Amino acid sequence: MIQRTCRIASAALVLVASGFSASHRNGPLLLEDQTANLNDFYIFRSYEAGRNDRVVMSMSAQGFQNPGNGPSYYKFSDSVLYRFNVNNSRGLDGAPDIQLDFVFKTTLRENPTFLSYFGVIDSIDSAGILLYQTYTVVVRDLKKGTSVAYDRDKNGHLLSVAPPNQGPKATPNYEAKLGAPSVFELSNGMKVFAGPRDDAFYFDSSAVFDFVNFRAPAPVLAGAADQGAGAAYPAAADGFAGYNISLIAVEAPITMLTADGAVPTSPTAPNAKIAGWASTLRQFITIRPSPADPMHVGDYVQIDRVGNPLTVELLIPLPMKDRWNRNDPVNDMQFAPFIRDPIFVSAVLKGVFGLNTAPAPRTDLLGVYVPDITRVDLTIAPNGPGGAGYSRLGPLGGDNAGWPFGGRRVGDDVVDIGLRAAAGVLVPGFGAAPNNQLGDGVNSNDLPYLTRFPFHAPPHAGFLSSGIGGTNGRGTSTQ
Amino acid sequence: MKLISYFLTAATLFAQSAEPDRLMAALKDRTIADQVSRMKTDDRIKAYETMATHMKDNLHYQNLLATAYIQKMRETANPDYLTRAAGIVDGVINADGGNYEALRLRSQIELERHNFAIVATVSRALIKIAPDDPWNWATLGDALMEMGQYEPAADAYQKMMSLRPDLASYNRASYYRFVMGDVDGAIAVMKQAISSGSRSPENVAWCLVDLGNIYFKTGQTNTAELAYNAALKVFPAYHAAYYGLGRVHAAQGKYPAAIQDLKQAQAAVPMVEYIAALEDTYTAAGQKDEAKVQQKMIDTIDRLEIANNQTANRTLAMVYADHDRKLARALELAQAELKVRQDIYTYDVLGWTLYKNNQHAAAWEAVTKALRLGTPEPVFHYHAGMIAKALGHQADARKHLEKALALNGKFDTRQAALAESALGEMKLTAKAQE
Repeated sequence: MIQRTCRIASAALVLVASGFSASHRNGPLLLEDQTANLNDFYIFRSYEAGRNDRVVMSMSAQGFQNPGNGPSYYKFSDSVLYRFNVNNSRGLDGAPDIQLDFVFKTTLRENPTFLSYFGVIDSIDSAGILLYQTYTVVVRDLKKGTSVAYDRDKNGHLLSVAPPNQGPKATPNYEAKLGAPSVFELSNGMKVFAGPRDDAFYFDSSAVFDFVNFRAPAPVLAGAADQGAGAAYPAAADGFAGYNISLIAVEAPITMLTADGAVPTSPTAPNAKIAGWASTLRQFITIRPSPADPMHVGDYVQIDRVGNPLTVELLIPLPMKDRWNRNDPVNDMQFAPFIRDPIFVSAVLKGVFGLNTAPAPRTDLLGVYVPDITRVDLTIAPNGPGGAGYSRLGPLGGDNAGWPFGGRRVGDDVVDIGLRAAAGVLVPGFGAAPNNQLGDGVNSNDLPYLTRFPFHAPPHAGFLSSGIGGTNGRGTSTQ
Repeated sequence: MKLISYFLTAATLFAQSAEPDRLMAALKDRTIADQVSRMKTDDRIKAYETMATHMKDNLHYQNLLATAYIQKMRETANPDYLTRAAGIVDGVINADGGNYEALRLRSQIELERHNFAIVATVSRALIKIAPDDPWNWATLGDALMEMGQYEPAADAYQKMMSLRPDLASYNRASYYRFVMGDVDGAIAVMKQAISSGSRSPENVAWCLVDLGNIYFKTGQTNTAELAYNAALKVFPAYHAAYYGLGRVHAAQGKYPAAIQDLKQAQAAVPMVEYIAALEDTYTAAGQKDEAKVQQKMIDTIDRLEIANNQTANRTLAMVYADHDRKLARALELAQAELKVRQDIYTYDVLGWTLYKNNQHAAAWEAVTKALRLGTPEPVFHYHAGMIAKALGHQADARKHLEKALALNGKFDTRQAALAESALGEMKLTAKAQE
């Protein structure tokens, strides 16, 4: 019987066997980079009470995280250098003057299980954090040629990555016990955070269909739908609701970021504006081994970068995408022709929706996108949700503390702002309806933002997560 | 955020026509592509199959479906998926001879079919079109590695690395360094590859298995076991990881566990080396009948190869030579393989089969070519030692046999013991002559 079974099995097997019986090394070819792709970059003057003299920067990576993706969850890659770039001189030319590098290290603690996190985790020092990630922050002043590394906070605690929010039993009272304690203050006065957070970005991604299918001739909002903070259209759903991202954030005194180390006093002062962008890099490794330098120490190659939201990165032809990503913003002038006369405006907004859009050349867009950096006017008083005069539409809503003048805050509705700006609301003569009413219909995030650093809402808990199903952009707090 | 970018790109790409229908298709495409890339391979295939069926004239979906099939082929080693991918890609190229995405996929498919010279030519042509695309440098390097052209292969890989250090380029750098004898470098760089990650868990598991193989070949058996187990955690039921684990357990003398592992590997993918390893492990465990069943399976595969006019198969050649069976056929298979690729692994098998056919001088010449880069492959040294012994070159024979066993004293369930007894015999003879 055993013999016969084997014979039948082998007959079936060998049918398949022919054709790959001679193997070779077929190494993977990647279409999508998992760990080095960035999603969003934020930079703004802090509106946390008592900390208005500071600037906050954050970057998000590994979007669309399923909060319940155990047993490993998401971690930062040890092989990626995550970098904040700050430009404060030469008229903001897109070349970095200060860089803040985050380099991660994963330690696998003695593990009796297949899990990465074991038992109740109620402290950032819990032994149950078996997959323990720490990081080093390197502050580089490129003008002075100095760099200072920090791997501990001012109290000597290792800079550790916040563990995932598994649920009320495994990680009870997450934000108080694990989220907030993962904010560390360095001896130089900076604050840093790295770990999972709710994706602050909100956008009706399914409106990619709605735009054309259901809301032709144009996605125009009106009245309360335009002004309000709730979901404006019944059909509009925040496609990012319920998902987490991996966030890296830093808060630094303004005086550490300006060219002269002073707080600017006038909007026309040379140090009134700074700009920032985020990038990821990996180390170049020599293919050929060298006895003199067996482990190589190669230069870093830039993999991805993000400056403004609605980045022009993909407005340029696809074959140029890699070149764009490898370049620094200071070289962005080569891409200007694609931005001066964006086909998105002439063919889509004007061509498909029939809007009266501002004609080329679009110097207003060039001012924002070339170089692709987010500028912050440090003389504008910071403002956040709940503040007097706050608007998700930033300057378009009369609130200059938002994108694109005051940097980009976590709550800025960059989709609506971007659509309106693309149509030409900042160009005299093109600011009237419907250009000033364009929008995707989702006007707020699924979770309220924090009013303190790092501002992104705590991560959705794995146990309570229901993804995006039926939330209509209105996720519920999973604390 | 990237989604809105896709929206804009799609709009840009299709703006020339500015037809709402085309535009809408493009918008859907970019959004869906991003969503689908997060799915598991089977779901990805289903999604793209639906789209490719409903929107036949959108060649991009055809290419994405082919890509998903190739990934599935990687995961299952089932050539049926490659056939499907090839059919789709051919269709796309027939419809649009300049479809870059499809041309790029075709070089990957030809690589799987072992048409290495074609791959090298096609990759070089594609590099002229898109010099900044790391993909073409990867396929060029891969083809050149198989053709034994190690210097230009290193140049191609170096270019790939300079364009984009990631899992794919680190993996190749690590492999190159191992081939060149740099074990520490190979391990360090492979860890970089693993840490870089991929949206396909199989890609990461592949690197973990590569890492395990480096550890195993250099005698770090327990560390190899950790790497193979990690691969199984990342990508459950991965056949290559079970094969590695089976060899580790056999080396540790844990035959029942080894048999379980190898059965898993062999049941998933009946690769000749999996079947042969299972045969050897059954034999070592004293289960002769079961060993015989595996041996018969190898013969059946060979009959199928003959029926399909497949003459080149160095794996089968090695298995026959290892078991002192069908030695003429083994030599024929190895010689035919040399026409397909001229890398060190083919020269090693050629040397081994020549030796088994008593062509010792030619065997030595072949194995010298296999050893020329200093690759820490225990079997290379084992074969060189046995050939040198047959030629009466005592010093060389001892040196290589000792090296094979120093790398890993249990490098193979059956052959390691043979190496040891050959060495022991030589030592005894030497002593007797003193």
